[in-house]
Amino acid sequence: MKHISSLASGVALGSAGVVMMSILSGCEAQQQEQQQQNRFLVIEQQANGKYIVAEEMPTDGPNRAIIREKDANGETVERFMSEEEMKALAEQEYKKVQDGSSETLKSGDSSAGMGLAGTILAVAAGSLLGNMIGNALMNNKNFAKNSASTNKSAYSRSTSPSASKSSSSKKSFFGGTNSKSSTQGSRSYGG
Amino acid sequence: MISLKKIDSLSDATLEELGFTWHTDSDATKYINNELVVITQAEAEAFYEAGNEIYEMFVAAAEHVIENNLFFELGIPFNLVEMIKKSWESDVHWHIYGRFDLAGGLDGKPIKLIEFNADTPTSLFETALLQWALLKENSMNEDSQFNNVYDAIKENFKRLITLNDDTELFDERYDGWKILFSSVEGNDEEEATTRLLQQMATDAGFNTGFEYLHNVRFDEEGIFDGDENQYEYWFKLYPWEDIGSGEPELATTLNSIMQNQQAIILNPAYTLLFQSKGIMKIMYDLFADSPYLLQTSFEPLDAIKQVEKTVFGREGANTKIIDASGKTLEQTDGEYGNYKKIYQEYVEFNADKDGAKYQAGLFFAYESCGLSFRKGSEIMDNMSKFVGHVIA
Repeated sequence: MKHISSLASGVALGSAGVVMMSILSGCEAQQQEQQQQNRFLVIEQQANGKYIVAEEMPTDGPNRAIIREKDANGETVERFMSEEEMKALAEQEYKKVQDGSSETLKSGDSSAGMGLAGTILAVAAGSLLGNMIGNALMNNKNFAKNSASTNKSAYSRSTSPSASKSSSSKKSFFGGTNSKSSTQGSRSYGG
Repeated sequence: MISLKKIDSLSDATLEELGFTWHTDSDATKYINNELVVITQAEAEAFYEAGNEIYEMFVAAAEHVIENNLFFELGIPFNLVEMIKKSWESDVHWHIYGRFDLAGGLDGKPIKLIEFNADTPTSLFETALLQWALLKENSMNEDSQFNNVYDAIKENFKRLITLNDDTELFDERYDGWKILFSSVEGNDEEEATTRLLQQMATDAGFNTGFEYLHNVRFDEEGIFDGDENQYEYWFKLYPWEDIGSGEPELATTLNSIMQNQQAIILNPAYTLLFQSKGIMKIMYDLFADSPYLLQTSFEPLDAIKQVEKTVFGREGANTKIIDASGKTLEQTDGEYGNYKKIYQEYVEFNADKDGAKYQAGLFFAYESCGLSFRKGSEIMDNMSKFVGHVIA
């Protein structure tokens, strides 16, 4: 009975189950040390010379990347980058992180992309330099934000560039639904 | 008489650690019952079959509503009709999950559809996680529960990408698209429900984010969190009909977003057709012979005991039980009184030895995937209690 056979263990509950099991058994919820997945990246140079990640696929093999750039004639050329080369660039950028000069730590709009080394560090720090460094970097708010916005793969192709759009045109709604600021706080929206 | 099994309850402290803070109702009674409903394997399978068949009937009835332009009859706000049609046309608007409320199913009583919470169902945390934790806490066999809810919804998130193909293809086809999850700030139950769904989607392999509803930003180009990150999917634990009537400007913007294919909104707009209790009248017209359907009409039924409900209305509000002579036996107030009414043949819920009533909640995510119960009186309201189950 596939459908009714339910759960053999908390593992079937995914990450929620792991946390629940540990609480029910009275153990502290252990921070799961997650092995960073290696990736195959396609990194594209933009018209402004900066880079963004156009595609990203998990891979069982080593980290590697295709770098798509414009040559002197404006033609698109692709070159392959091995894990060693990526690692060297990431290490070089990580040194800048340590002395505070890395663009991956800058706040502000990073949607235009970053330099190649910064881009690689932003998206693959954990798998190239190890989890400890990756996690430490992700704890930096600016780095985390840059990491998220450098990787625009999915929607830079599917939407018109939103960076050029002034954010003032965006609107928020539900002004009356925040129960902290509303008189209808007891209202429930689920059912 | 239904069969119950007494169990040790989880302490409030443990429940809170699990993220379940709404364990005590506003009248200071415990929301989680310290008993489990004991059901048989055959009863569990009958619930499973019923959910699948009932969903098929909802789909057929929704098709009928769209083809015959019956939106007004169902009380659908006019400014949502276009989105409903659009979402119906393309499978990318995938229905993630819903919950059928059912009477019967135990003690030889036939299963009868009460209504379908297709848009913003709660009781998810309790059903998927808590009733499993109750088995665990009481050292009972974890296999003896009809509860595949977590895994089924996780798989169904993958179908946003794979559609009707094998969900194994998700990793191959997924291209980084992100889902933003939103609920009202200040309601623990709804936020925990929403964050649980986010966790399921993350486990499925999606990039996800969470933002309270009032911080989400919209324009015709798409949907953004407070940090201006754009999302390809937006899950809102907020009723479509309230967007239509309470946030008409947002409804217009969402329509453009959908038109421009900038984002997909979950649960899809067409789930409002399932959510409207008016559709049960259409279903009864189309499938009067179905053993699962109660006679339902837009007009009071002749000379039978019946229940008057509004087409939209949650937690048992604005409900009236009327006897065969037309006399009101019981009624609840609420804020949904302005909606259209339907009249549904009355059916007895299963009851325990003290006369308490039990309504089954059957979760559906691509197929029936899990069961739990609510215990209350004739009209299940937000003071009714959650009761887990065990298969004997």
